[in-house]
Amino acid sequence: MWIYAYWEPVLIITLIHVIFTAGLYVTALSGQLSLATAAIAGIGAYCAAVLTTNFEWPFVPATVVAIIAGGLVGAFIAAITVKMRDFILKLTTLAFGEAVAVICFNIDYIGGANSFTGIPLFTSIWVALIATGLVLYVAWRFDGSRLGFASRAVRDDPLAASATGVSVLWVRMVTFALGGAIVGAGGSLQAHYVLIINPQELGFFVSLTFIIFLLVGGMQSLWGPVLAAVVLTALPEVTRFANEYRLILYGFVIVLVVLFRQEGMVTRIPTGRGSRLFNSSGATQKAAE
Amino acid sequence: MDLFLQQLINGVIIGSTYAVVAIGFALVFTVLRVINFAHPEIFMTGMFAGLLAGSHISDNFFVVLIFGAIGAGAVGLTLERFVLRPLRGRDVLMTLIGTLGVAIMLQNGMAKFMSPDPVAYPKSLQVSLLLSDDIILTSTQAVNFIVSILLLAGVSFYVRKTRYGRATRAIAERPDVAAAFGVDVNRVSQVTVALASVMAGIAAVSVGILYGSAWAFVGLFYGLKAFICMLVAGNRYFEGVILVAMMLGVIEALVTGYVSSNFRDVAAFTILICVLYFRPNGLFGSYDT
Repeated sequence: MWIYAYWEPVLIITLIHVIFTAGLYVTALSGQLSLATAAIAGIGAYCAAVLTTNFEWPFVPATVVAIIAGGLVGAFIAAITVKMRDFILKLTTLAFGEAVAVICFNIDYIGGANSFTGIPLFTSIWVALIATGLVLYVAWRFDGSRLGFASRAVRDDPLAASATGVSVLWVRMVTFALGGAIVGAGGSLQAHYVLIINPQELGFFVSLTFIIFLLVGGMQSLWGPVLAAVVLTALPEVTRFANEYRLILYGFVIVLVVLFRQEGMVTRIPTGRGSRLFNSSGATQKAAE
Repeated sequence: MDLFLQQLINGVIIGSTYAVVAIGFALVFTVLRVINFAHPEIFMTGMFAGLLAGSHISDNFFVVLIFGAIGAGAVGLTLERFVLRPLRGRDVLMTLIGTLGVAIMLQNGMAKFMSPDPVAYPKSLQVSLLLSDDIILTSTQAVNFIVSILLLAGVSFYVRKTRYGRATRAIAERPDVAAAFGVDVNRVSQVTVALASVMAGIAAVSVGILYGSAWAFVGLFYGLKAFICMLVAGNRYFEGVILVAMMLGVIEALVTGYVSSNFRDVAAFTILICVLYFRPNGLFGSYDT
């Protein structure tokens, strides 16, 4: 039992990271690599935490508000960046995230620089497990849906996708909104587990953690990033016996994966209902060979 | 008026250090098409190499400076051979993640083997007041500024007047054509990374002497700002990067002086968003990949 008591926090944080990574994966499916994950999570977290702490709302409705807030923010970013080139889009999301962090830093109502504290504990291991299960189910169904494949088309070539009748703006707004909603839910879970929201944790370097999960896992299927999130969150904990060396090892693993597995850890092609529509596509042919 | 002049001086001094780090980013990005997020950590390594030389060999200013340069250069060359060269030509974001892994290793390695807290720097220079009582300008500030300006003048000369500089500009224009005309891209990469690292090391030593301490996590502070400077200016003209870095330093100092230090970091990101919105290739153009 003492082993479980030690591992429970690790497990809950890992599940929350899986949720964030799934949200990021959905957003990135249409070619929008968001560097504002932590900021969107923070917005969700602040919304839910203010409702539960200051207005004594129950946990579930507060989280629903967080989900809606995350989705709206995501749709907004997608709408303003739709015409931007890939590289500039990433930088705009980065700047957006930093701006949100600084604004939250200066709002006294939500604690400002002193962090938002006094949040009630709601996230137990069961809540985290159920939420992760729901999120993975939604992301998995989206991954294999027609819209999921339309997203891949937009990612690979927006011009060609729009020529075949896919609305680039619509697809990007839906993916970013869905991804933002998932990240917002994760933010609410995290806030009600860590019990503090520090505005400095909304910035670029925290968002980058999830980008690392995504790229190390690979963009080929949902399970790659999920696996990477589990491994890279647990790795510093599993290697706690080598306490002082574990972050060095963490950096080393990232470098090795980037150098030697360009496509990420999991490179299986996606499957799902939507893939039947694409029987003659290159991806399926490659799998057959 | 005194406040304005004081902040102007402070801004130009910090801006000159931003400029040295930003030029390192720009040089490596231009030649290798790799966003080298380990560059600020090379800066940090140079700082500690100088510190070790100062405490074990002699605290003569030039000895510390030379060992700072050697330490940073050695790390830079190792990095070039084993990480940057294999990353060349890969997706820009992957290069960012890979070098970030190296940065995590260097930061935590240095925190492990030296100290996770700031360490006192050897007092190689006498601190004395140069200007009147109203406006403070110390000798160490002046030395820091002069060292940075000499480095920047040196790099400008290198890019415009030397053979490797010409090769650098050719690669910046068209890497494939430059290679077809007999430019040894590997050799130029090596020289470029060595140059950028040595410059960072020297600047780091003068910063260490200025603030009287070295810190394993100092790179984070300079890294993001220098990266923004490169993006705002674009990597076509290195002088443009220098100008933008100086201006960013001044703007930050003025915001700190007249508004609040909390909003200092907003300045950089606001400028970044505005510039990218109106000039998506930076103020002076380029960074196409």
